[in-house]
Amino acid sequence: MEVSTITAILDTTLAVVFTWVAYKTGQIIWKYTPYSYPNARIKAMEARLLSDQRILELSESRTLQNFVVNLEDSDYGPRLTSIENVNLRNVEMALELSLVDLLELMVKIMPKRVKGFFELLEESIDVRNISNVVKAKLNGLPAQDYIIPAGKMLPKVKAITEAKTMEEILVILEGTEYEEPLRKLLLKEITIQEFELDLYRNYYTKLFKYANSRKGEEKVILLEFVRMLIDERNISTILRAKMAGMSPENLKRLIIEGGSLSRATLDAMVNAEDHIMAMGELEGTKYGQVIRDVREELESGNLEAIERAIRRYRLTRMKELAQFYPLSVGVALTYILEREMEVRKLRAIAKLIVDGVKPEKIKELVGEVA
Amino acid sequence: MDPIVYVALGMALGAGIAGAASSFGVGIAGAAAAGAVAEDEKNFRNALILEGLPMTQSIYGLITLFLIGMTAGIIGGGGFKFAEPTTQNLIKSAILFGAGLLVGLTGLSAIPQGIIASAGVGAVSKNPKTFTQNLIFAAMAETMAIFGLVGAIILIMSL
Repeated sequence: MEVSTITAILDTTLAVVFTWVAYKTGQIIWKYTPYSYPNARIKAMEARLLSDQRILELSESRTLQNFVVNLEDSDYGPRLTSIENVNLRNVEMALELSLVDLLELMVKIMPKRVKGFFELLEESIDVRNISNVVKAKLNGLPAQDYIIPAGKMLPKVKAITEAKTMEEILVILEGTEYEEPLRKLLLKEITIQEFELDLYRNYYTKLFKYANSRKGEEKVILLEFVRMLIDERNISTILRAKMAGMSPENLKRLIIEGGSLSRATLDAMVNAEDHIMAMGELEGTKYGQVIRDVREELESGNLEAIERAIRRYRLTRMKELAQFYPLSVGVALTYILEREMEVRKLRAIAKLIVDGVKPEKIKELVGEVA
Repeated sequence: MDPIVYVALGMALGAGIAGAASSFGVGIAGAAAAGAVAEDEKNFRNALILEGLPMTQSIYGLITLFLIGMTAGIIGGGGFKFAEPTTQNLIKSAILFGAGLLVGLTGLSAIPQGIIASAGVGAVSKNPKTFTQNLIFAAMAETMAIFGLVGAIILIMSL
């Protein structure tokens, strides 16, 4: 072989190999490196989730004071120890605020390309606060009891809490996305349920758009997460509306688009005779098994059982995704769901302690409430 | 190109690619280690061991660099053995270049090793009992680099 031929082969090989190596290396590094730090940190936090044994021990606290003391060395410690007056409302608030802290931490540590999703998750606090204040005001209840002192719109939320009239609230919310639904509510174009739903519809639409704008694994995981959130809300809305005897026409307006349940399934559920029939329409969907597991409770009218079962399904599914994609946003979302479930358990224990329920009974009940 | 250029490239690519891959691997695992330690200092020892695993590829690169250098006469003071641009010398240089490239490319296994080690750091932070298993998972990626080194030694010894 000629010398020039050999050198040509070597040079070409070099160029091809280098291009391929640079491309693949860049791709792998871009994909995984940003998740390395946050995911290891989250896994370390997972190690501090309360074990079943610890939950049972907390059930034996007997007083709310003891309950708070027993949680001092946990991730809830900083929030709980800062409570001045230990009562149920303050404890519940501290637990809720620890979840807000978690979302804020996620915003800080997650890669830039998914940070926005966690900022949007934080917005749910604003939606909840505004919805609760408006509902409280309309029912003549003290609105400050229904807000969480957190969220980007906290100053406005505080202002609307102190507002004397609904028109004043409208002025405060002027220029925000909440203005239009409130205007419609005040003009009696929509009901309070539709107002609340409008807020959540906007919120879920934003989440969905964001998830859809991502790429690869992130898109897969975020979309599945958002779709399950929407499904949970739709199923809950339909079953509750069916139990309350709402007409299909009115119910149709309360459905949020974008979930994983098909339009046909949702229509069939909306038009079903009662909540049992509506639930039957979920057979054949991914929620079929979930529904079968809680059929008896649902038939007896316990809708919370199905909501809990769907939440558990959501957590299981996110755990599967997090295992399949260990360096991805799935790990963070799974942890958030785990912490939410833990907070639900802790709130239930605190409530049962305050209600004077015996520890043995609390232990029995605590598994059923989360 | 002159034979010496291929030999020099072989040395540089062997140590360079493997070294760069090692730094990426250690970087990925190191970020995870930092995250784990930020939450709990007790994770330091396990995280450090897992973080250090992707470093070995750069050692293989360095070994290859020395072997190629000594075979070609660059190291040792004997002068370059294949200085004349003959076909024979070019082939010998190309073999040494191939040996370097082989170690460099298999040294890229340091990047996935860093990714595995990173996931391992997370898993061990959650459950320290899984340290050995995660160490083995991460060490598996090392096999390719070892194969590369063995292949390079065979190539070098053929001269």
